[in-house]
Amino acid sequence: MTNILVVADIKQGELKGSTTELLSKARALGAQTAVVAVGSQVKDLAPKLAAAGSDTQYIVDDPSMEIFSAKPFTAAVVQAANEFNADMVWFGFSETGKAAAPRVAVQLEAACANEIIDVTIDGDAVQIIRPAIANKVLQKVKIHAPKLVALVRAGAFEPDPEVTGKENVVTLDPPEADTDAKVKELISDASGEIDLTDADIVVSVGRGAKDQAGVDLVKALADDLAAGFGSSRAMVDAGLMAHNKQVGQTGKIVAPTLYIAVGISGAIQHLAGMNGSKVILAVNKDPEAPIFNVADFGIVGDLFDVVPSLKEEIKKIRA
Amino acid sequence: MKILTTVKKVVDVELNIHVENGAILEKGLQYVINAWDENAVEAAVQLKESHKADTTLVSMGSGDNTDIIRKCYAMGIDNAIHIDDPNLAKADSPTFARVLQKVFEAGEYDLVITGKQAQDTDAGQAGIMLAEFLDIPCVSNVIEIKVTDESHIQVSRLGDEGTEIVDLTLPAVVTVSDGINEPRLPAMRGIMMAKKKKINVMDLAGLGTSFEDVGGTDPKSEIVEFMAMEKRKGGQKFEGDPAEITAKVVDLLVNEAKVL
Ligand SMILES: Cc1cc2nc3c(=O)[nH]c(=O)nc-3n(C[C@H](O)[C@H](O)[C@H](O)COP(=O)(O)OP(=O)(O)OC[C@H]3O[C@@H](n4cnc5c(N)ncnc54)[C@H](O)[C@@H]3O)c2cc1C
Ligand SMILES: Nc1ncnc2c1ncn2[C@@H]1O[C@H](COP(=O)(O)O)[C@@H](O)[C@H]1O
Repeated sequence: MTNILVVADIKQGELKGSTTELLSKARALGAQTAVVAVGSQVKDLAPKLAAAGSDTQYIVDDPSMEIFSAKPFTAAVVQAANEFNADMVWFGFSETGKAAAPRVAVQLEAACANEIIDVTIDGDAVQIIRPAIANKVLQKVKIHAPKLVALVRAGAFEPDPEVTGKENVVTLDPPEADTDAKVKELISDASGEIDLTDADIVVSVGRGAKDQAGVDLVKALADDLAAGFGSSRAMVDAGLMAHNKQVGQTGKIVAPTLYIAVGISGAIQHLAGMNGSKVILAVNKDPEAPIFNVADFGIVGDLFDVVPSLKEEIKKIRA
Repeated sequence: MKILTTVKKVVDVELNIHVENGAILEKGLQYVINAWDENAVEAAVQLKESHKADTTLVSMGSGDNTDIIRKCYAMGIDNAIHIDDPNLAKADSPTFARVLQKVFEAGEYDLVITGKQAQDTDAGQAGIMLAEFLDIPCVSNVIEIKVTDESHIQVSRLGDEGTEIVDLTLPAVVTVSDGINEPRLPAMRGIMMAKKKKINVMDLAGLGTSFEDVGGTDPKSEIVEFMAMEKRKGGQKFEGDPAEITAKVVDLLVNEAKVL
């Protein structure tokens, strides 16, 4: 029997969808499941964590854990992994996971795999599949170490609506703060906007939108669709969009049902962040733009004409 | 301040990559400096300019890395070490991190700057694991470095909830995102001078270690096969009157794709 510990993905006090996805997959593999929730005021999440598919909930709840700090976060996860006798520790795809997973792996003497999209367990033999080289190839990786720490790529596993667990809360002591890497401040980017990585529809804006007026136009389309609003790096570099809106290899990986790319050329680094989307619609005035090579539906035209029309049409069907 | 930056030679991701019989076809590949390592080099050179830091790069791998090292010299790096060992051809991140540990211990550095990930592995592990092995502090995904005093720096990290401002006690490891800077294009003078500079090349034995010592013979995981990525295909393209084509596309999204 494999014991899989899932690290709860919590943002602004809310449990993210990836936690259910990971627990669903763990249960489908026939594993024993536990979850560890680290943060401030996270203990009230226990019933939700159980409903998400865990049979044990390790809770590390302390005001000192409010802002992410890699060392204590790692210590909390390692403590839970040891308590649970975890064979695997799975993180959702987040900056927290990317920072903590390699540390947890070193401390558990485990193998570490980033961005996995599949895992198979056959007796003692464990294999994972993950993209590499800017999402251009897939690697099949055999795990030799007795333990595996993995970061699961966004959208890799489907949530199972039937899945549920049972509440069995284990409270763990908070680890000591890191005195050599002191987190002074968090400049929060909480905006009350729909979270990109959880959104069903994502609308992203690229350099084609030119300026603030263009951004506002595309943002209005996103609002009409109740969609997450993302961007290419060019718009972040131009100071028109916040860093946390960047979709791509260095930004957010998204896999919504519908991704709408407006005025985005489709550079390899951007594609790496969105080509797992179910359906892609691209709007670009250049018929040769690479984004059309991945788009299921392409509109060749000036976004300043196309986006207002799209808004009109969507208003009609939403009415 | 003594800074060590890491520079990996990787396949150019802008070119097509073909897979056959479980392996990547070598033909047609080109090699470049890992994009995020270029940001690391730029960050180090900026600290050299603002705080007289002494900058050393290390590149690990087998074969000729002269071109990428010369480029970094031309950008302003002072010294270069190339750990050239055939065993490292297929090494993984933890192994590279162990080699980096040996390099670090031989050089008494105050700060290590690595890229957030290598373009070929997309692992994002070596820098963080190095810090873990050395038991020194580390901040990943950094977009700003400010020197506080001789033994402290302040960094900004892009985290899940916003930008985290962290005070780091040196020695420390920082892994940088491409948002940190715009790597400079080397000037002609730098390029000419770079040609004359020496590269310190050694194998693992020269570094006082062995492949076994750095965990290479007992890897925690192993790539057994490469597979081609299933390519998305471009679908229907529409051109013409915006009102007409958007009506058509929205209809398709609702009734055919069923995503609206
Ligand atoms: C290490 C590294 C990491 C990177 N990571 C990322 C990442 O995570 N995410 C990311 O997005 N990029 C990333 N990039 C940058 C990437 O290579 C591209 O530079 C970037 O994605 C380009 O953004 P863009 O498509 O908005 O701009 P451009 O490439 O300039 O494209 C603009 C597009 O808009 C179209 N257009 C112009 N005017 C109009 C109009 N009026 N109507 C309709 N269409 C119009 C043009 O035809 C063009 O196709 C990275 C690069 C590097 C080196
Ligand atoms: N062979 C190598 N030579 C130099 N630096 C490396 C090497 N492998 C990894 N690194 C550094 O470690 C970072 C993370 O690598 P990875 O864990 O492979 O994603 C890279 O950006 C490099 O800066």
